[in-house]
Amino acid sequence: MRAEASKNKVKKILVDENSPLFDKTNMLHKEFPSDFRQIRYFTLLIVQTAPPDIKDVNLLEQQISEIIKNAVKHGNKCNMEKKVRVWYSFSPEHAHLIVEDEGEGFKDLEKWNSFNRTRQECLEKQNFEALAEYVSYRGAAADDNDGGNALFAALEYWDGGFVFNQKRNCVAMLKKFPKRRLGVQVDGDNS
Amino acid sequence: MELKIRKSGETYIIDVNGEMDLYNSYKLKELVTRMLEKKVGRFIINLENVDYIDSSGIGALIYICSTIKKMNLKLIITNIHGSVKKVIELTKLMGYFPITQTIEDALLKMEA
Repeated sequence: MRAEASKNKVKKILVDENSPLFDKTNMLHKEFPSDFRQIRYFTLLIVQTAPPDIKDVNLLEQQISEIIKNAVKHGNKCNMEKKVRVWYSFSPEHAHLIVEDEGEGFKDLEKWNSFNRTRQECLEKQNFEALAEYVSYRGAAADDNDGGNALFAALEYWDGGFVFNQKRNCVAMLKKFPKRRLGVQVDGDNS
Repeated sequence: MELKIRKSGETYIIDVNGEMDLYNSYKLKELVTRMLEKKVGRFIINLENVDYIDSSGIGALIYICSTIKKMNLKLIITNIHGSVKKVIELTKLMGYFPITQTIEDALLKMEA
C-alpha cells in the first residue's frame, strides 16, 4: 500500500480540456510571432506585470521563458507565420499562465510522463548511476541545444497544476505563493 | 556570457560570467569539448558570476558532467547560488552534479 501511495504522488502532466486553469476570465493577453531570438524579450513583456514579491531571483521569468520557448520551438517550429498566444495573470499569491501555439500538439506526452516516472524512482532511491540515463528527455525532434529538463522543473514549480488541452497545443499552469504575513507584532504575542 | 580559463596546478578553472541561457549555453559545451580534445582531465566550473540559468544551461552542465564521468576524468561545479541553485533544485539534480561551495573546496576535493 505504501509503495502504491508513493507512486500516486509522482507528479505528471495532465490532459484535461475542462480544467478550470483554462478559464481566461480577467487574464491579460499578448501574442507573438515565433521568433526564437526574441523569446526572452517576449517573456520580459509578460513578467513585467508581476508584483516584485513573486519574481524571486528571476525564477518566474525563467519558468515562463521555458514554456514560451517550447511553444515557439517545439510547437511552431520557429515558423514566423505562426503565433504564440499567451494569457496571464499575477498577484502576490499566484501566477497563472496559458500558452497556446499553432503546432501539432505535444505528441510525446505519455512517453514523457513514463520517462519522468522512472526518473523519479531513480531519485527516490538516490540511484545516481541509473539517473544518468534519465537526466534529460530527448524527444524525436530534440537538438543539441535542448536541455531536455525544462518540464521536470516546470512540474515542480507550477504547483497549482500543469495541464494540456485535448489537442495538446495549449498548456495552462498555476503557481501559488504563500500569503505574506503583515509585519505587525501584537504586544505580548510571542508566537 | 563570457568564459575565462585559468589554471591551478593540473586543474583548469572555467569562470563563467553572465547568463547561461538558450542563446549561449552551447559555448560552454564547445569549450569543454575542445579542452577534452587537448587532454585536459580536471575541470572546475565556477558559477559565481552566473545569476540566470535556463534548461539549456542545465542541459549543458548535464552534457559536460556525463561526458567527463564517462571518460573517468574529474569535474566539480562550484559557487552555485541564487536562481541557478533554485533551478537545479527544481530539476532535483543537486545530488547528481559534483558540487562544492567554493573554489578552494573544489581544489581540495580534486586532490582527494
